[in-house]
Amino acid sequence: MSSAGEKEMSDIIVLDHVEKIYHRDALEIPVLKDIALRVPQGEFLALMGPSGSGKTTLLNLIAGIDQPTRGRILVGGVDISTISQTRLAKWRSQTIGFIFQLYNLIPVLTAFENVELPLLLTRLSRAERRRHVETALSIVALSDRMDHYPRQLSGGQEQRVAIARAIVSDPAILVADEPTGDLDAKSAEEILILLKRLNEEFAKTIVVVTHDPKAASRAHRMIHLDKGVLESDELTETGHLRRV
Amino acid sequence: MKFFRLIWKNVFRKKTRMVLTTGSIVLVLVLIVVLVSLLNAMEADPSGGRGANRLVVQHATGLASFLPLSQRQRIEQIPGVVAVSPEIWFGGVYKDDRPENFFGQLSADPQIFFDKIFDDAMIDPAANAEWKATRNGFVAGQNLVTKFGWKKGDHVQLRGTYIPVTLDLIYIGKYRAGDESNIFFHNEYLNQSKWFGANRVTGIYYMKVASTQDLPRVAAAIDRMFENSDAPTKTMTEKQFQAQFMEMMGNIKGLIRWISLVILFAVTLIVANTVAMSARERVTEISVMRVLGFRRSHVLSFILSESVLMSLLGGLVGVVLAKFVIIPGMVKGMQTTPMAPFLINFRVTWQVLLAAFGISVGVGVLAGFVPAIRSSQLRIVDGLRQVV
Repeated sequence: MSSAGEKEMSDIIVLDHVEKIYHRDALEIPVLKDIALRVPQGEFLALMGPSGSGKTTLLNLIAGIDQPTRGRILVGGVDISTISQTRLAKWRSQTIGFIFQLYNLIPVLTAFENVELPLLLTRLSRAERRRHVETALSIVALSDRMDHYPRQLSGGQEQRVAIARAIVSDPAILVADEPTGDLDAKSAEEILILLKRLNEEFAKTIVVVTHDPKAASRAHRMIHLDKGVLESDELTETGHLRRV
Repeated sequence: MKFFRLIWKNVFRKKTRMVLTTGSIVLVLVLIVVLVSLLNAMEADPSGGRGANRLVVQHATGLASFLPLSQRQRIEQIPGVVAVSPEIWFGGVYKDDRPENFFGQLSADPQIFFDKIFDDAMIDPAANAEWKATRNGFVAGQNLVTKFGWKKGDHVQLRGTYIPVTLDLIYIGKYRAGDESNIFFHNEYLNQSKWFGANRVTGIYYMKVASTQDLPRVAAAIDRMFENSDAPTKTMTEKQFQAQFMEMMGNIKGLIRWISLVILFAVTLIVANTVAMSARERVTEISVMRVLGFRRSHVLSFILSESVLMSLLGGLVGVVLAKFVIIPGMVKGMQTTPMAPFLINFRVTWQVLLAAFGISVGVGVLAGFVPAIRSSQLRIVDGLRQVV
């Protein structure tokens, strides 16, 4: 058995007694209560639960989009619960790739330009940026659509561009908020296969919020939240196989 | 520079709105550039510096009073004076009372007028000589000749207004100068008509001194010479003489400044509204960019840059329109109006260009400031939750 310290080293995400309370005027709304969670590097984790259970809030905390009211969040060894907004922004651009349910591509930019966006924050040259973008688009099999605008793409293709944008700066962690929620069954399947590939071939740690048990079954591990409380934490069949 | 493409594309995101907003900036910039350039022209020297050593002597009480012709000889004797020509503004009616038939009608001494005083004007020496020899002859500025189609030997009748005589003049030739909106005829011909002031008085003395250094001394000497007479004088440079017509129109400059400020404020509100609408519509997008790692300062500078870029584009089009279309068109259309003396200086100067550039940037910054601050302060989670 490994010690706590060693375990923390191999866990890329560590949540320690995390609480999140939203304030609406004088009203306090507790969204997450005393969450403790460890995600080992390379794991594919599915967050499930009914609407309002706190899944997206938990995902936002892990991605450094929001900060906890109490508790500590370590991601890749960095305590993101206390660092400044400016440092957090830089950290996000280097560590996290975010995939949204509604793709959230910038409509006035082409697929190429959308994928290039995170790289504009780096010191890469134009040629280097082009190389990275082309690689990312080839991984999602959209090399032939790089000059298309989002309105010229199908929902599945838009989501693949969004995935290319999430992986272009080679982050260690991908977080996805219901990435198949707005897609037809075929496109959803393609996206799940792609996420699986990114996890297995490119060793990305993936955290997915989903309502879809089929999507969750692709993960190694499933966590159920209800009313802000972590209700269950279990390995999926894939997870068992992986462990074996 | 790597963000410019993103900013550019966001500016043109809603083309109709962009065109309408930029159009309002274009209109305002055209208006401001034209008004300021016109003001500058009216304050500038109409002779373009060539009349810098010319003086105009008028009655101290104003142009409505005459000066005795006896003053001419005494003025001519002041050291430094080159030549003095009495001039009378006839103000007669040509054809009818319509404004388009109005032009400057001045009597002068033809023997010295183009040779010694208005010597920066260009006139054919033969025409000048013929004018000197033809008592009822007149010469006219090129623009007037073109406008009325006068040909040599044509008779032009001018019906007097405050001088109750009718002049029957013969067109001799044209002159070229900065101001080509006047005709000149003989003092002698006017006096021949036996009007009430004939051979006794003149409206002004138009004169030249040897050098610009002499101007203050000669002007002071003239006014001192007649200060205790029945007809005290007020002597001024040609530029000051022109400027007093501006003063007669009241504080035009102040009025124009106020109008400009008000329309600038109005256009700033229009641009601010457009930028705010654009930023509001993109709350989710802005939050997505923040998720990708863009900082608050990035968002602030993007929104501000979009506002400045839109304003600059409008300013650029406005200045180009004013400089190459509107002002040349106005100059062409006003050649034979009372504004004609000022038209030679009616152009867009570098100072005006720089001011227009500054105004465009200023409008952009002011208009974009609040939306930019608000967008950059938005919490990412709130922006992502927003349904637009």
